[in-house]
Amino acid sequence: MTLTRTLMTTAAAVTLLASPMGAAHAQEKAKVFLSMSYIGNDWQGEAANMVKAMAASKDMANKIDLQVQVSGPNAQKQIQQINAMVQAGAKAIVVYPISPTALNTAVKNACSKGVVVIAYDGEISEPCAYNVTIDQAAAGRVTAEWLVKKLNGKGNIVAITGVPGTSVDTERTKAAKEVFAKYPGIKIVNEAVGLWSQAVARTELSKILATRKWSEIDGLWMQVGCYTANTMQIEAGATADKLKPCAGEGSNGGRIQMLPVNTEVEGANGTYKPMGAPRISYASPPYSGALALKLAVDKLNGKNIPQHTTLPLPLVTNETIKLCQEGTWSEMKAGCNAFKPTLVSNPGWFASIFSIDTPEVGLNAALVGQPEY
Amino acid sequence: MSAISLDTSRAAPRSRFRLARHRGPIIAVIAFMICLALVKGVSGGTLGYYELSTLSAGGTTLAIAAIGQTIVILSGGFDLSAAVVISLVNVSLAGHMQDTTASIALWTCGGLLIGALAGAFNGVFIAVLRLEPIVVTLANMFILQGVTLLVMDKPGGQIPPGFSAALTGDVIPGLLPMPVLLLAALVGLWLLLKNTVFGKAIYSIGSDREAARAAGLGIRRHQFFIYVLAGALYGLAGVFISAQTGSGDPLVGNPMLLQMFAAVVVGGTLLGGGRGGPVGTIFGAYVLMLVVNILLVLNVPAFYSSIVEGLILVLAVLGASITHSSVLAKTLRTVRRRLVARSAGMLPHQLNLTEYRLRLPAPAPTVQNPAFWVRHAEDLRNAVPAFVCFVLVLVATQFVLGNSLLSWHFYNSLIVLGSFLAILALGQGTVILTGGLDLSLPWTIGCCGILCAGLLKGSDAALIYALPATFAFGAFVGLLNGLGIVAIGLSPIVMTLAMNGILQGVALLYSGGTPDGFASPGLRWFMTAEVAGITPVVFLMVFFVVGAVILLGKTAFGRRVYAIGNGVRAAELSGVPVKSTIVKVYVLSGLCAALVGCLLAGFSGQGSLGMGDEYLLPSIAVVVVGGTLITGGRGSYIGMLGGVLLLTALQTLLAGTTLPYATRAILYGVVVLFAVVALREKNS
Repeated sequence: MTLTRTLMTTAAAVTLLASPMGAAHAQEKAKVFLSMSYIGNDWQGEAANMVKAMAASKDMANKIDLQVQVSGPNAQKQIQQINAMVQAGAKAIVVYPISPTALNTAVKNACSKGVVVIAYDGEISEPCAYNVTIDQAAAGRVTAEWLVKKLNGKGNIVAITGVPGTSVDTERTKAAKEVFAKYPGIKIVNEAVGLWSQAVARTELSKILATRKWSEIDGLWMQVGCYTANTMQIEAGATADKLKPCAGEGSNGGRIQMLPVNTEVEGANGTYKPMGAPRISYASPPYSGALALKLAVDKLNGKNIPQHTTLPLPLVTNETIKLCQEGTWSEMKAGCNAFKPTLVSNPGWFASIFSIDTPEVGLNAALVGQPEY
Repeated sequence: MSAISLDTSRAAPRSRFRLARHRGPIIAVIAFMICLALVKGVSGGTLGYYELSTLSAGGTTLAIAAIGQTIVILSGGFDLSAAVVISLVNVSLAGHMQDTTASIALWTCGGLLIGALAGAFNGVFIAVLRLEPIVVTLANMFILQGVTLLVMDKPGGQIPPGFSAALTGDVIPGLLPMPVLLLAALVGLWLLLKNTVFGKAIYSIGSDREAARAAGLGIRRHQFFIYVLAGALYGLAGVFISAQTGSGDPLVGNPMLLQMFAAVVVGGTLLGGGRGGPVGTIFGAYVLMLVVNILLVLNVPAFYSSIVEGLILVLAVLGASITHSSVLAKTLRTVRRRLVARSAGMLPHQLNLTEYRLRLPAPAPTVQNPAFWVRHAEDLRNAVPAFVCFVLVLVATQFVLGNSLLSWHFYNSLIVLGSFLAILALGQGTVILTGGLDLSLPWTIGCCGILCAGLLKGSDAALIYALPATFAFGAFVGLLNGLGIVAIGLSPIVMTLAMNGILQGVALLYSGGTPDGFASPGLRWFMTAEVAGITPVVFLMVFFVVGAVILLGKTAFGRRVYAIGNGVRAAELSGVPVKSTIVKVYVLSGLCAALVGCLLAGFSGQGSLGMGDEYLLPSIAVVVVGGTLITGGRGSYIGMLGGVLLLTALQTLLAGTTLPYATRAILYGVVVLFAVVALREKNS
């Protein structure tokens, strides 16, 4: 009995602790949930900040009550979470889906209860769900075409892919390979799994370079890792004008490296500096969660929203790269797309945060979750 | 038998004894009830049939798979391939099952069969060839992962909706959901099985293998069927998840692996075998799934969720400690008694006693030291296969890719790439030698890397305090792990798994979701520059390896580690300070992880969330491939180093090719398996 009592006391204590956090002031606002699968990487942290900022923006703060929940990388738990959110009276659920298929039944169930379910970045294949994504195949195709053009249709390339077994990785890689296959002069000499991480890209490239010299590589197609690849070339003694063309992610470090060599950039250090690196930079933009939330609220307010919102590919090349001074939304609207290292000290940070549809969120939203207004 | 005559007189104590024997599952049930009450109480919502049936379907996959894992663990084994089998069955079904009764029946059996075959594969190597379960199932995990991706390279496929409705719907609407019936049927079958010879064999093999053999049990046959049965259960879990999700995803099962172990431990089954059972496991699984609902009703902020999850895991297991004879209670009593003794001035060192020590007869008898080869014969025998395979991989690399065998650049890269695992191998290896396991490595590395880079912010001068601070943090994490294990009596898996979750939260809170530090030029130089073709970290590794060999082979600490691994009780009776040694072992592991965190930050230039994620399974793999026994007591650092070299060289070879990932995973698994088969040849 002591045992039960002690546990009960603990439970009661937890309950007491928790109640102030509860839904005291949320009576009239619509309950909206964000179901994040996983939060342990940089992209997810940034996306979560932007969603929070959107929810805190002036127009939205008095309309909705946003609760952010994390289920971990396990699809089972996300299913359970979505079910629980429906039971908790959700009006809308914004989801970063861990799997495009595994959530289908849970999502269908939520839809049948009148809940608006909207997924960002990843897709949910259940027809009643709304999706906000980029065209992954186009991302693979366009970047591969850029690389082929840069190499004049001839050369040895290294491909670093994402997480094997995911739709995003499979579609991007397949589309890129279809492009490469059209040019007999292009040869993929190495292919490695990069797991969308700069750190993993570094280890994989190091493994490749254990048996291959930089001089035997003409170009790189990477889902994440161009910043690292350029850094490694500089470390290996290359000069900035000898950097290999690299088609890859939209990390801020990579963007800064794309700026012409003599650009003045505050806080530039090491290889996090302008070097005129030949690049095309694309990304799954981290603002997609914030936009999904905005669309969900629109839907709750009775507006019609498209079943599938395909975001414009945030492509940046050496021709369009431009440094931001403050990183406000209006400044980005004017065309800037890279941030000073004094503002963003982590070069792996994802810089594709601008959308014409989300004036509520700028740099501060992505960094600390503060809306523009 | 005398038991008959004692029957009446012992009736009362006996029933209490039986209750105590079932305490594990009972605690799990109570924990489950508390979680459910918490969800109901705080949310204020209804908890009717609909909610309960949804909950019951949510946890079924984990529960079924964890039952399979429980049976393996009861027999003293360990199965890392469990989660991948679920994915494999899921994609096989999603690719093939048609909406006809015949096809549904065929592929349901097919799912079970695929699972049973995967289990039979494990069983052959473990029972017949007598290899270490952990390394066989690890290799099988890689192989099956490759096969799964060959079957389906991205999510897709369809499961007939009728099948989904049948498995996840109601048997009696409003009264009995199908998943509950399914689990009840499994429990029923288990209770029948438990009283057969096979059922008793599971427990007896896990309790004492030699005793079971002496009692005349056919160990090999039983062990083989244990893995087949477990495999079929993972297959069933795969069938269920297919019905639940209505489609296929080649990664769907993978993240369930660690949860499965947590479910088993929360359910009161002892790692190492012999005690526990599937009933507790089922409730353990539901407790873990209910955490999601608890986080929701408490509205726990995102960054704190993994911390709360870790704490719930610890609390759920801690329930078992609220008894008079638990480790925690003993620790508290000891602390209290010592305090009382201290205030009374009765502690031995306060009493000014004359020292009586047993002394060896003087002069000490001269014992002829056996030759080096004789003394180290066992270590060498266990370590050699890894090195032999390493050389084979080198030759293959030269053959396939060229410019490696005679190129210093290749070896330099190999050492730099292998340095992280070589350092982790000391920590993880020492923990494994004592019979434990450190699952907190990923986020200890992550936290330390982010902390190190965050303190440095690109300044070399900051190294003076950033390195000590990071090491202090790593050591502190290890200290908490160690204390949780020896003072509170948590199982190493639960303690370190919970710690991993807590550290993930700490890393998120410290960095605000975006780590902003970066390594200093000096640290980057140390990891990436080449001085006369040699990267500076290579020199560190030379010292590290020498130091590690001495630490484990020549010091009192090393001998205590081996003694504990060979038998805690025997070590304790021989005067080994077991508890303090175990704490030190985890501190060592924390320090190694901290060093790796700093080096990784230097290697990639910055600290990032999740930077340690790729190192947990490899850290275990190199230790066991190097000839270390997962149950502790046997192994050497040189062997682990061989494992590091082998796996790093193998990855380098595979990275040099353009083989698809699926093929690489299969090859990787096959080579690991080959290395341990070679190990066995040397042993027999």
